[in-house]
Amino acid sequence: MNIFWREIKAGRKSLLIWSVGIILFMMSGMVKYESYTASPQSINEMIAKMPTVLKTILGLGTFDLTMVTGYYGMLFFYLVLMAAIYAVMLGANIISKEEQDKTAEFLFLKPISRNQVITYKLSACLVNIAIFTLVTFLSSILMVEHYSKGEDIFSPIIKLISGMFIIQLIFLSIGSAMAAVGRHPQKASSLGTGILLLTFFLSIIIDLNSRIENLKYLTPFKYFEAKDVLYGPGFQPVFLILSFGIIVLLLGTTYVFYQKRDLYL
Amino acid sequence: MNVVEINHLTKYYGKKRGIIDVNFNVEEKEIFGFIGPNGAGKSTTLRTILGLIYPTGGSAKIFGKDSIQYGPEIKKQIGYLPSEVFYYDKMRVKDLLKYAASFYQKDCRKRIRELAEIMDLDLDKRIDDLSFGNKKKVGIVQGLLHEPKLIILDEPTGGLDPLMQQKFFELLQEENKRGATILLSSHILGEVQRLCDRVAIIKEGKIVELQRISSLQERAYKKIKIQVPEDLDSNYFQIDGVSNVEVKQNIISFMYKGNVNAIMKKISEIKIVNIWIEEPDLEEIFLHYYERGA
Repeated sequence: MNIFWREIKAGRKSLLIWSVGIILFMMSGMVKYESYTASPQSINEMIAKMPTVLKTILGLGTFDLTMVTGYYGMLFFYLVLMAAIYAVMLGANIISKEEQDKTAEFLFLKPISRNQVITYKLSACLVNIAIFTLVTFLSSILMVEHYSKGEDIFSPIIKLISGMFIIQLIFLSIGSAMAAVGRHPQKASSLGTGILLLTFFLSIIIDLNSRIENLKYLTPFKYFEAKDVLYGPGFQPVFLILSFGIIVLLLGTTYVFYQKRDLYL
Repeated sequence: MNVVEINHLTKYYGKKRGIIDVNFNVEEKEIFGFIGPNGAGKSTTLRTILGLIYPTGGSAKIFGKDSIQYGPEIKKQIGYLPSEVFYYDKMRVKDLLKYAASFYQKDCRKRIRELAEIMDLDLDKRIDDLSFGNKKKVGIVQGLLHEPKLIILDEPTGGLDPLMQQKFFELLQEENKRGATILLSSHILGEVQRLCDRVAIIKEGKIVELQRISSLQERAYKKIKIQVPEDLDSNYFQIDGVSNVEVKQNIISFMYKGNVNAIMKKISEIKIVNIWIEEPDLEEIFLHYYERGA
Protein backbone atom coordinates (compact mmCIF):
# COMPACT_ATOMS: atom_id res chain seq x y z
CA MET A 1 0.00 0.00 0.00
CA ASN A 2 2.95 2.34 0.53
CA ILE A 3 3.40 2.78 -3.20
CA PHE A 4 -0.28 3.60 -3.57
CA TRP A 5 -0.15 6.38 -0.98
CA ARG A 6 3.12 7.63 -2.35
CA GLU A 7 1.52 7.97 -5.79
CA ILE A 8 -1.60 9.62 -4.40
CA LYS A 9 0.63 12.16 -2.72
CA ALA A 10 2.78 12.66 -5.79
CA GLY A 11 -0.29 13.20 -7.98
CA ARG A 12 -2.10 15.62 -5.67
CA LYS A 13 -0.75 18.80 -7.16
CA SER A 14 -1.43 17.91 -10.76
CA LEU A 15 -4.93 16.70 -9.86
CA LEU A 16 -5.58 19.97 -8.06
CA ILE A 17 -4.46 22.05 -11.03
CA TRP A 18 -6.60 20.06 -13.45
CA SER A 19 -9.59 20.29 -11.11
CA VAL A 20 -9.27 24.05 -10.82
CA GLY A 21 -8.98 24.16 -14.61
CA ILE A 22 -12.18 22.16 -15.03
CA ILE A 23 -14.08 24.30 -12.54
CA LEU A 24 -12.94 27.53 -14.20
CA PHE A 25 -13.80 26.12 -17.62
CA MET A 26 -17.31 25.22 -16.46
CA MET A 27 -17.82 28.60 -14.84
CA SER A 28 -16.66 30.65 -17.80
CA GLY A 29 -18.46 28.34 -20.21
CA MET A 30 -21.79 28.65 -18.47
CA VAL A 31 -21.47 32.42 -18.02
CA LYS A 32 -21.30 32.65 -21.80
CA TYR A 33 -24.49 30.64 -21.99
CA GLU A 34 -26.21 33.52 -20.26
CA SER A 35 -25.36 35.83 -23.13
CA TYR A 36 -26.48 33.19 -25.65
CA THR A 37 -29.89 33.04 -24.07
CA ALA A 38 -30.16 36.82 -24.00
CA SER A 39 -30.73 36.75 -27.75
CA PRO A 40 -31.42 33.11 -28.63
CA GLN A 41 -32.67 33.86 -32.12
CA SER A 42 -29.55 35.59 -33.34
CA ILE A 43 -27.18 32.97 -31.90
CA ASN A 44 -28.97 30.07 -33.56
CA GLU A 45 -29.10 32.00 -36.80
CA MET A 46 -25.43 32.78 -36.65
CA ILE A 47 -24.52 29.18 -35.99
CA ALA A 48 -26.80 27.96 -38.73
CA LYS A 49 -24.90 30.16 -41.16
CA MET A 50 -21.54 28.71 -40.11
CA PRO A 51 -19.98 26.23 -42.50
CA THR A 52 -20.34 22.63 -41.30
CA VAL A 53 -16.59 22.20 -41.11
CA LEU A 54 -16.26 25.03 -38.62
CA LYS A 55 -19.24 23.83 -36.62
CA THR A 56 -17.79 20.35 -36.42
CA ILE A 57 -14.33 21.52 -35.42
CA LEU A 58 -15.77 23.74 -32.71
CA GLY A 59 -17.78 20.81 -31.43
CA LEU A 60 -21.07 22.59 -32.05
CA GLY A 61 -22.54 19.70 -34.03
CA THR A 62 -26.27 19.64 -34.01
CA PHE A 63 -26.81 20.99 -30.55
CA ASP A 64 -29.49 23.48 -29.78
CA LEU A 65 -27.33 25.94 -27.94
CA THR A 66 -30.24 27.80 -26.48
CA MET A 67 -31.17 24.73 -24.47
CA VAL A 68 -28.96 24.27 -21.44
CA THR A 69 -28.40 20.56 -22.12
CA GLY A 70 -27.53 21.30 -25.74
CA TYR A 71 -25.11 23.96 -24.64
CA TYR A 72 -23.61 21.60 -22.09
CA GLY A 73 -23.27 18.99 -24.83
CA MET A 74 -21.01 21.41 -26.65
CA LEU A 75 -18.93 22.10 -23.54
CA PHE A 76 -18.73 18.37 -22.94
CA PHE A 77 -16.80 17.99 -26.22
CA TYR A 78 -13.97 19.95 -24.58
CA LEU A 79 -14.39 18.34 -21.17
CA VAL A 80 -13.83 14.91 -22.69
CA LEU A 81 -10.73 16.15 -24.49
CA MET A 82 -9.27 17.53 -21.28
CA ALA A 83 -10.21 14.43 -19.30
CA ALA A 84 -8.57 12.19 -21.89
CA ILE A 85 -5.37 14.24 -21.92
CA TYR A 86 -5.21 14.07 -18.13
CA ALA A 87 -5.75 10.31 -18.17
CA VAL A 88 -3.25 9.47 -20.90
CA MET A 89 -0.52 11.57 -19.28
CA LEU A 90 -1.28 10.14 -15.86
CA GLY A 91 -1.03 6.58 -17.13
CA ALA A 92 2.16 7.17 -19.08
CA ASN A 93 3.95 9.15 -16.41
CA ILE A 94 3.11 7.04 -13.43
CA ILE A 95 4.83 4.07 -15.04
CA SER A 96 7.68 5.80 -16.85
CA LYS A 97 8.71 8.28 -14.19
CA GLU A 98 10.62 5.71 -12.12
CA GLU A 99 12.90 5.14 -15.07
CA GLN A 100 12.94 8.77 -16.14
CA ASP A 101 13.81 10.05 -12.67
CA LYS A 102 16.16 7.11 -12.21
CA THR A 103 14.36 5.93 -9.12
CA ALA A 104 13.79 2.49 -10.64
CA GLU A 105 16.96 1.19 -9.04
CA PHE A 106 15.57 2.26 -5.69
CA LEU A 107 12.09 0.87 -6.14
CA PHE A 108 12.83 -2.44 -7.81
CA LEU A 109 15.46 -3.43 -5.28
CA LYS A 110 12.70 -3.54 -2.69
CA PRO A 111 11.00 -6.85 -1.96
CA ILE A 112 8.18 -6.24 -4.37
CA SER A 113 7.36 -7.60 -7.81
CA ARG A 114 6.87 -5.48 -10.90
CA ASN A 115 3.27 -6.63 -11.10
CA GLN A 116 2.61 -5.40 -7.60
CA VAL A 117 4.15 -2.05 -8.45
CA ILE A 118 1.90 -1.73 -11.50
CA THR A 119 -1.17 -2.69 -9.51
CA TYR A 120 -0.55 -0.08 -6.83
CA LYS A 121 0.23 2.58 -9.39
CA LEU A 122 -2.84 1.84 -11.49
CA SER A 123 -5.00 1.86 -8.37
CA ALA A 124 -3.70 5.31 -7.56
CA CYS A 125 -4.52 6.38 -11.12
CA LEU A 126 -8.01 5.02 -10.76
CA VAL A 127 -8.56 7.07 -7.62
CA ASN A 128 -7.19 10.19 -9.31
CA ILE A 129 -9.46 9.71 -12.29
CA ALA A 130 -12.43 9.06 -10.05
CA ILE A 131 -11.76 12.32 -8.24
CA PHE A 132 -11.32 14.14 -11.53
CA THR A 133 -14.64 12.71 -12.71
CA LEU A 134 -16.36 13.66 -9.50
CA VAL A 135 -15.08 17.24 -9.73
CA THR A 136 -16.27 17.44 -13.33
CA PHE A 137 -19.62 15.99 -12.38
CA LEU A 138 -20.20 18.29 -9.42
CA SER A 139 -19.08 21.44 -11.21
CA SER A 140 -21.26 20.47 -14.18
CA ILE A 141 -24.31 19.88 -12.02
CA LEU A 142 -23.86 23.07 -10.02
CA MET A 143 -23.21 25.33 -12.97
CA VAL A 144 -25.79 23.85 -15.31
CA GLU A 145 -28.43 23.70 -12.60
CA HIS A 146 -28.03 27.42 -12.11
CA TYR A 147 -29.08 28.13 -15.69
CA SER A 148 -31.61 25.38 -16.25
CA LYS A 149 -35.18 26.50 -16.38
CA GLY A 150 -36.75 23.39 -15.01
CA GLU A 151 -35.04 21.20 -17.60
CA ASP A 152 -34.01 17.78 -16.32
CA ILE A 153 -30.27 18.05 -16.24
CA PHE A 154 -29.31 15.39 -13.75
CA SER A 155 -29.79 12.26 -15.83
CA PRO A 156 -28.20 13.59 -19.07
CA ILE A 157 -25.19 14.84 -17.14
CA ILE A 158 -24.72 11.61 -15.25
CA LYS A 159 -24.85 9.70 -18.55
CA LEU A 160 -22.34 11.97 -20.21
CA ILE A 161 -19.97 11.93 -17.28
CA SER A 162 -20.13 8.12 -17.10
CA GLY A 163 -19.11 8.04 -20.74
CA MET A 164 -16.27 10.42 -20.00
CA PHE A 165 -15.10 8.18 -17.17
CA ILE A 166 -14.93 5.18 -19.50
CA ILE A 167 -13.02 7.22 -22.09
CA GLN A 168 -10.58 8.20 -19.37
CA LEU A 169 -10.05 4.56 -18.46
CA ILE A 170 -9.31 3.79 -22.09
CA PHE A 171 -6.74 6.57 -22.32
CA LEU A 172 -5.24 5.67 -18.97
CA SER A 173 -4.61 2.18 -20.26
CA ILE A 174 -3.23 3.55 -23.55
CA GLY A 175 -0.79 5.67 -21.55
CA SER A 176 0.31 2.87 -19.26
CA ALA A 177 0.72 0.45 -22.16
CA MET A 178 2.89 2.98 -24.00
CA ALA A 179 5.13 3.31 -20.95
CA ALA A 180 5.30 -0.44 -20.40
CA VAL A 181 5.98 -1.49 -23.97
CA GLY A 182 8.20 1.33 -25.19
CA ARG A 183 11.95 1.09 -25.13
CA HIS A 184 12.12 4.78 -24.34
CA PRO A 185 9.99 5.54 -21.30
CA GLN A 186 10.58 9.26 -21.66
CA LYS A 187 8.63 9.15 -24.90
CA ALA A 188 5.62 7.35 -23.45
CA SER A 189 3.74 10.51 -22.60
CA SER A 190 4.23 12.11 -26.00
CA LEU A 191 3.34 8.85 -27.77
CA GLY A 192 0.15 8.56 -25.73
CA THR A 193 -0.77 12.16 -26.40
CA GLY A 194 -0.03 11.57 -30.08
CA ILE A 195 -2.49 8.70 -30.19
CA LEU A 196 -4.99 10.86 -28.37
CA LEU A 197 -4.76 13.69 -30.90
CA LEU A 198 -4.86 11.27 -33.78
CA THR A 199 -8.06 9.64 -32.55
CA PHE A 200 -9.49 13.03 -31.69
CA PHE A 201 -8.97 14.39 -35.18
CA LEU A 202 -10.23 11.15 -36.64
CA SER A 203 -13.47 11.68 -34.75
CA ILE A 204 -13.80 15.15 -36.27
CA ILE A 205 -13.01 13.90 -39.77
CA ILE A 206 -15.67 11.22 -39.39
CA ASP A 207 -18.18 13.93 -38.51
CA LEU A 208 -17.24 15.81 -41.66
CA ASN A 209 -17.35 12.81 -43.94
CA SER A 210 -20.14 10.32 -43.39
CA ARG A 211 -18.65 7.87 -45.90
CA ILE A 212 -15.99 6.85 -43.40
CA GLU A 213 -18.45 6.49 -40.58
CA ASN A 214 -17.35 2.91 -39.96
CA LEU A 215 -14.00 4.17 -38.72
CA LYS A 216 -15.81 5.33 -35.61
CA TYR A 217 -14.85 2.09 -33.89
CA LEU A 218 -11.23 3.22 -34.02
CA THR A 219 -11.65 6.34 -31.94
CA PRO A 220 -12.88 6.35 -28.35
CA PHE A 221 -14.08 9.91 -28.84
CA LYS A 222 -16.89 8.46 -30.95
CA TYR A 223 -18.01 5.94 -28.35
CA PHE A 224 -20.02 8.15 -26.01
CA GLU A 225 -20.68 11.31 -27.97
CA ALA A 226 -23.00 13.85 -26.44
CA LYS A 227 -25.27 13.93 -29.48
CA ASP A 228 -25.82 10.18 -29.30
CA VAL A 229 -26.21 10.06 -25.55
CA LEU A 230 -28.52 13.09 -25.39
CA TYR A 231 -30.57 12.86 -28.58
CA GLY A 232 -29.75 9.47 -30.01
CA PRO A 233 -29.70 5.91 -28.81
CA GLY A 234 -27.88 6.61 -25.52
CA PHE A 235 -25.21 4.14 -24.51
CA GLN A 236 -24.68 1.57 -27.23
CA PRO A 237 -23.72 -1.90 -26.02
CA VAL A 238 -21.22 -2.33 -28.84
CA PHE A 239 -19.19 0.60 -27.59
CA LEU A 240 -19.40 -0.53 -23.99
CA ILE A 241 -18.10 -3.96 -24.95
CA LEU A 242 -15.45 -2.45 -27.19
CA SER A 243 -14.29 -0.13 -24.38
CA PHE A 244 -14.12 -2.98 -21.93
CA GLY A 245 -12.14 -5.08 -24.41
CA ILE A 246 -9.66 -2.30 -25.15
CA ILE A 247 -9.09 -1.59 -21.46
CA VAL A 248 -8.54 -5.23 -20.58
CA LEU A 249 -6.23 -5.77 -23.55
CA LEU A 250 -4.11 -2.71 -22.85
CA LEU A 251 -3.86 -3.33 -19.12
CA GLY A 252 -2.85 -6.90 -19.88
CA THR A 253 -0.22 -5.55 -22.27
CA THR A 254 1.02 -3.22 -19.55
CA TYR A 255 1.50 -6.06 -17.08
CA VAL A 256 3.03 -8.53 -19.51
CA PHE A 257 5.49 -6.18 -21.16
CA TYR A 258 6.57 -4.38 -18.02
CA GLN A 259 7.28 -7.69 -16.36
CA LYS A 260 9.39 -8.91 -19.26
CA ARG A 261 11.44 -5.99 -20.35
CA ASP A 262 14.70 -4.60 -19.07
CA LEU A 263 14.32 -1.54 -16.95
CA TYR A 264 15.78 1.49 -18.61
CA LEU A 265 18.42 2.65 -16.14
CA MET B 1 27.74 -21.99 1.35
CA ASN B 2 27.47 -19.67 -1.62
CA VAL B 3 25.33 -16.62 -1.14
CA VAL B 4 25.65 -15.61 -4.76
CA GLU B 5 26.16 -18.10 -7.59
CA ILE B 6 26.55 -16.78 -11.10
CA ASN B 7 26.43 -19.35 -13.88
CA HIS B 8 27.34 -18.52 -17.46
CA LEU B 9 25.61 -15.19 -17.19
CA THR B 10 25.47 -13.39 -20.51
CA LYS B 11 23.81 -10.14 -21.41
CA TYR B 12 23.63 -8.45 -24.77
CA TYR B 13 21.91 -5.12 -25.32
CA GLY B 14 20.66 -5.84 -28.78
CA LYS B 15 23.94 -6.55 -30.51
CA LYS B 16 25.99 -4.59 -28.03
CA ARG B 17 28.08 -6.59 -25.62
CA GLY B 18 27.14 -6.35 -21.97
CA ILE B 19 28.74 -9.33 -20.30
CA ILE B 20 29.76 -12.69 -21.71
CA ASP B 21 29.71 -15.98 -19.80
CA VAL B 22 30.35 -14.57 -16.36
CA ASN B 23 30.89 -17.15 -13.64
CA PHE B 24 31.71 -16.62 -10.01
CA ASN B 25 30.45 -17.37 -6.55
CA VAL B 26 30.39 -15.25 -3.45
CA GLU B 27 30.71 -17.25 -0.29
CA GLU B 28 28.85 -16.57 2.91
CA LYS B 29 30.37 -13.85 5.09
CA GLU B 30 32.99 -12.95 2.56
CA ILE B 31 33.78 -9.52 1.16
CA PHE B 32 34.04 -10.02 -2.55
CA GLY B 33 35.46 -7.42 -4.88
CA PHE B 34 34.45 -7.01 -8.46
CA ILE B 35 36.81 -4.79 -10.35
CA GLY B 36 37.26 -3.56 -13.86
CA PRO B 37 37.45 -0.32 -15.79
CA ASN B 38 34.35 1.68 -16.61
CA GLY B 39 32.23 0.00 -19.22
CA ALA B 40 33.63 -3.46 -18.52
CA GLY B 41 30.28 -4.83 -17.38
CA LYS B 42 30.28 -4.46 -13.59
CA SER B 43 26.95 -2.66 -13.34
CA THR B 44 25.46 -4.91 -15.99
CA THR B 45 26.38 -7.97 -13.96
CA LEU B 46 24.96 -6.57 -10.74
CA ARG B 47 21.77 -5.31 -12.39
CA THR B 48 21.25 -8.65 -14.08
CA ILE B 49 21.55 -10.70 -10.92
CA LEU B 50 19.20 -8.23 -9.22
CA GLY B 51 16.56 -8.66 -11.93
CA LEU B 52 16.55 -5.03 -13.06
CA ILE B 53 17.51 -6.31 -16.47
CA TYR B 54 17.20 -9.83 -17.79
CA PRO B 55 20.04 -12.07 -18.92
CA THR B 56 20.39 -13.17 -22.53
CA GLY B 57 21.76 -16.45 -21.22
CA GLY B 58 22.76 -18.14 -18.00
CA SER B 59 21.37 -17.52 -14.56
CA ALA B 60 22.16 -16.43 -11.06
CA LYS B 61 21.20 -17.75 -7.68
CA ILE B 62 21.08 -15.73 -4.50
CA PHE B 63 20.68 -17.54 -1.18
CA GLY B 64 20.35 -20.66 -3.31
CA LYS B 65 17.27 -19.39 -5.14
CA ASP B 66 16.90 -18.25 -8.73
CA SER B 67 17.40 -14.52 -8.61
CA ILE B 68 14.61 -13.67 -11.01
CA GLN B 69 11.96 -16.18 -10.11
CA TYR B 70 12.29 -15.47 -6.40
CA GLY B 71 13.25 -11.82 -6.85
CA PRO B 72 10.87 -10.18 -4.40
CA GLU B 73 11.54 -12.79 -1.75
CA ILE B 74 15.34 -12.64 -1.83
CA LYS B 75 15.32 -8.85 -1.98
CA LYS B 76 14.09 -8.79 1.60
CA GLN B 77 17.64 -9.67 2.57
CA ILE B 78 19.53 -7.56 0.05
CA GLY B 79 20.83 -4.07 0.60
CA TYR B 80 21.94 -2.22 -2.52
CA LEU B 81 23.82 0.97 -3.13
CA PRO B 82 23.75 2.09 -6.77
CA SER B 83 26.66 3.98 -8.28
CA GLU B 84 24.61 7.05 -8.89
CA VAL B 85 22.02 7.82 -6.30
CA PHE B 86 18.74 9.28 -7.50
CA TYR B 87 15.71 9.73 -5.32
CA TYR B 88 12.33 11.35 -5.34
CA ASP B 89 13.59 14.93 -5.23
CA LYS B 90 10.74 16.57 -3.43
CA MET B 91 11.00 14.30 -0.41
CA ARG B 92 12.88 14.99 2.74
CA VAL B 93 15.61 12.56 3.74
CA LYS B 94 13.53 11.40 6.67
CA ASP B 95 10.50 10.68 4.50
CA LEU B 96 12.52 8.88 1.88
CA LEU B 97 14.07 6.60 4.50
CA LYS B 98 10.66 6.01 6.02
CA TYR B 99 9.35 5.12 2.56
CA ALA B 100 12.29 2.77 1.98
CA ALA B 101 11.74 1.13 5.38
CA SER B 102 8.04 0.68 4.69
CA PHE B 103 8.87 -2.09 2.21
CA TYR B 104 10.29 -4.30 4.92
CA GLN B 105 8.23 -5.94 7.60
CA LYS B 106 10.33 -4.69 10.44
CA ASP B 107 10.89 -1.60 12.51
CA CYS B 108 13.94 0.14 11.10
CA ARG B 109 13.70 3.44 12.98
CA LYS B 110 16.47 2.72 15.43
CA ARG B 111 18.86 1.55 12.75
CA ILE B 112 18.10 4.62 10.61
CA ARG B 113 19.03 6.90 13.51
CA GLU B 114 22.22 4.96 14.18
CA LEU B 115 23.31 4.97 10.57
CA ALA B 116 22.48 8.65 10.10
CA GLU B 117 24.62 9.44 13.09
CA ILE B 118 27.56 7.40 11.86
CA MET B 119 27.37 8.92 8.41
CA ASP B 120 26.69 12.40 9.77
CA LEU B 121 23.53 12.82 7.73
CA ASP B 122 20.93 15.54 8.33
CA LEU B 123 17.54 13.81 8.21
CA ASP B 124 15.49 16.98 7.89
CA LYS B 125 16.98 18.23 4.63
CA ARG B 126 15.22 17.90 1.31
CA ILE B 127 16.84 15.48 -1.09
CA ASP B 128 17.22 18.03 -3.88
CA ASP B 129 19.17 20.33 -1.55
CA LEU B 130 21.81 17.68 -0.94
CA SER B 131 25.25 17.56 -2.52
CA PHE B 132 26.34 14.51 -4.47
CA GLY B 133 28.28 13.17 -1.48
CA ASN B 134 25.34 13.66 0.85
CA LYS B 135 23.02 11.90 -1.56
CA LYS B 136 25.45 9.03 -1.47
CA LYS B 137 25.14 8.97 2.31
CA VAL B 138 21.38 8.74 1.96
CA GLY B 139 22.02 5.81 -0.35
CA ILE B 140 24.21 4.12 2.22
CA VAL B 141 21.67 4.51 5.02
CA GLN B 142 18.91 3.45 2.65
CA GLY B 143 20.82 0.33 1.65
CA LEU B 144 21.64 -0.76 5.16
CA LEU B 145 18.60 0.22 7.22
CA HIS B 146 16.96 -3.20 7.10
CA GLU B 147 20.12 -5.04 8.23
CA PRO B 148 20.44 -7.09 5.05
CA LYS B 149 22.32 -10.37 4.85
CA LEU B 150 23.76 -9.52 1.45
CA ILE B 151 25.06 -6.05 0.70
CA ILE B 152 25.70 -5.19 -2.95
CA LEU B 153 27.56 -1.99 -3.72
CA ASP B 154 28.17 -0.53 -7.15
CA GLU B 155 31.08 1.92 -7.09
CA PRO B 156 30.22 2.95 -3.55
CA THR B 157 32.79 5.58 -2.68
CA GLY B 158 32.44 8.08 -5.52
CA GLY B 159 31.61 11.49 -4.04
CA LEU B 160 32.49 10.62 -0.46
CA ASP B 161 35.33 12.53 1.13
CA PRO B 162 38.20 10.45 2.56
CA LEU B 163 36.93 10.72 6.13
CA MET B 164 33.49 9.50 5.13
CA GLN B 165 35.02 6.73 3.03
CA GLN B 166 36.87 5.62 6.11
CA LYS B 167 33.71 5.62 8.23
CA PHE B 168 31.85 3.84 5.50
CA PHE B 169 34.47 1.09 5.21
CA GLU B 170 34.40 0.63 8.97
CA LEU B 171 30.64 0.36 8.77
CA LEU B 172 30.91 -2.28 6.08
CA GLN B 173 33.46 -4.23 8.08
CA GLU B 174 31.13 -4.14 11.08
CA GLU B 175 28.25 -5.37 8.96
CA ASN B 176 30.52 -8.11 7.71
CA LYS B 177 31.41 -9.14 11.26
CA ARG B 178 27.73 -9.20 12.08
CA GLY B 179 27.43 -11.83 9.36
CA ALA B 180 26.64 -9.92 6.21
CA THR B 181 28.12 -10.98 2.90
CA ILE B 182 29.36 -8.11 0.78
CA LEU B 183 29.73 -7.85 -2.98
CA LEU B 184 31.48 -4.66 -3.99
CA SER B 185 32.19 -3.40 -7.46
CA SER B 186 34.82 -0.78 -8.07
CA HIS B 187 37.33 0.56 -10.54
CA ILE B 188 39.60 1.66 -7.72
CA LEU B 189 41.97 -1.10 -6.79
CA GLY B 190 42.88 0.48 -3.47
CA GLU B 191 39.47 0.22 -1.92
CA VAL B 192 39.05 -3.33 -3.10
CA GLN B 193 42.44 -4.24 -1.72
CA ARG B 194 41.62 -2.80 1.67
CA LEU B 195 38.33 -4.56 2.10
CA CYS B 196 38.07 -7.67 0.05
CA ASP B 197 39.02 -11.28 0.56
CA ARG B 198 38.68 -12.28 -3.05
CA VAL B 199 38.27 -10.43 -6.31
CA ALA B 200 36.98 -11.07 -9.77
CA ILE B 201 38.44 -8.93 -12.52
CA ILE B 202 36.24 -8.16 -15.46
CA LYS B 203 37.42 -6.81 -18.75
CA GLU B 204 35.33 -6.16 -21.83
CA GLY B 205 32.49 -8.20 -20.43
CA LYS B 206 34.52 -11.25 -19.50
CA ILE B 207 36.00 -12.39 -16.21
CA VAL B 208 39.74 -12.51 -16.74
CA GLU B 209 40.81 -13.45 -13.25
CA LEU B 210 39.35 -14.75 -10.02
CA GLN B 211 41.81 -14.52 -7.16
CA ARG B 212 42.47 -14.11 -3.49
CA ILE B 213 43.48 -10.50 -3.04
CA SER B 214 46.71 -11.59 -1.37
CA SER B 215 47.93 -13.50 -4.38
CA LEU B 216 46.91 -10.70 -6.69
CA GLN B 217 48.99 -8.27 -4.70
CA GLU B 218 52.02 -10.50 -4.89
CA ARG B 219 51.77 -10.38 -8.61
CA ALA B 220 51.00 -6.73 -8.83
CA TYR B 221 53.55 -4.21 -9.99
CA LYS B 222 54.54 -1.18 -7.99
CA LYS B 223 55.71 1.99 -9.59
CA ILE B 224 58.75 3.28 -7.78
CA LYS B 225 60.36 6.65 -8.39
CA ILE B 226 63.45 7.72 -6.50
CA GLN B 227 65.23 11.05 -6.42
CA VAL B 228 68.92 10.72 -5.53
CA PRO B 229 71.42 13.47 -4.60
CA GLU B 230 73.95 12.53 -7.23
CA ASP B 231 74.00 10.57 -10.41
CA LEU B 232 73.59 6.89 -9.88
CA ASP B 233 74.54 3.93 -11.97
CA SER B 234 71.38 2.97 -13.76
CA ASN B 235 72.31 -0.67 -13.28
CA TYR B 236 72.11 -0.34 -9.52
CA PHE B 237 68.50 -1.51 -9.46
CA GLN B 238 68.97 -4.39 -11.84
CA ILE B 239 67.60 -7.04 -9.52
CA ASP B 240 64.88 -9.61 -10.01
CA GLY B 241 61.46 -8.10 -10.52
CA VAL B 242 62.61 -4.69 -11.70
CA SER B 243 61.64 -3.59 -15.16
CA ASN B 244 61.21 -0.49 -17.30
CA VAL B 245 64.05 1.40 -15.67
CA GLU B 246 64.20 5.04 -16.71
CA VAL B 247 66.77 7.55 -15.60
CA LYS B 248 66.17 11.25 -15.99
CA GLN B 249 69.01 13.26 -14.48
CA ASN B 250 68.86 12.22 -10.84
CA ILE B 251 65.39 10.68 -10.87
CA ILE B 252 65.13 6.98 -11.41
CA SER B 253 61.82 5.30 -12.01
CA PHE B 254 60.98 1.67 -12.58
CA MET B 255 58.32 -0.97 -12.11
CA TYR B 256 58.75 -3.57 -9.45
CA LYS B 257 57.07 -6.88 -8.95
CA GLY B 258 57.94 -9.25 -6.14
CA ASN B 259 58.80 -9.20 -2.47
CA VAL B 260 58.67 -5.63 -1.17
CA ASN B 261 61.40 -6.29 1.42
CA ALA B 262 63.98 -7.04 -1.23
CA ILE B 263 63.54 -3.73 -2.97
CA MET B 264 63.32 -1.78 0.27
CA LYS B 265 66.62 -3.20 1.36
CA LYS B 266 68.18 -2.18 -1.90
CA ILE B 267 66.81 1.35 -1.59
CA SER B 268 67.98 1.70 2.00
CA GLU B 269 71.56 1.12 0.97
CA ILE B 270 71.81 4.35 -0.98
CA LYS B 271 71.24 7.98 -0.09
CA ILE B 272 67.98 9.26 -1.43
CA VAL B 273 66.28 12.67 -1.49
CA ASN B 274 62.74 11.59 -2.11
CA ILE B 275 60.73 8.52 -2.95
CA TRP B 276 57.35 7.81 -4.53
CA ILE B 277 55.85 4.35 -4.43
CA GLU B 278 52.60 4.05 -6.31
CA GLU B 279 50.18 1.25 -6.69
CA PRO B 280 49.67 0.59 -10.34
CA ASP B 281 46.25 1.72 -11.46
CA LEU B 282 43.90 -0.79 -12.91
CA GLU B 283 44.91 -0.04 -16.44
CA GLU B 284 48.38 -1.22 -15.58
CA ILE B 285 47.11 -4.36 -13.94
CA PHE B 286 45.09 -4.98 -17.01
CA LEU B 287 48.14 -4.51 -19.12
CA HIS B 288 49.40 -7.54 -17.36
CA TYR B 289 46.34 -9.48 -18.44
CA TYR B 290 46.65 -8.27 -21.99
CA GLU B 291 50.18 -9.59 -22.08
CA ARG B 292 49.21 -12.91 -20.59
CA GLY B 293 46.16 -13.25 -22.77
CA ALA B 294 48.08 -12.56 -25.95
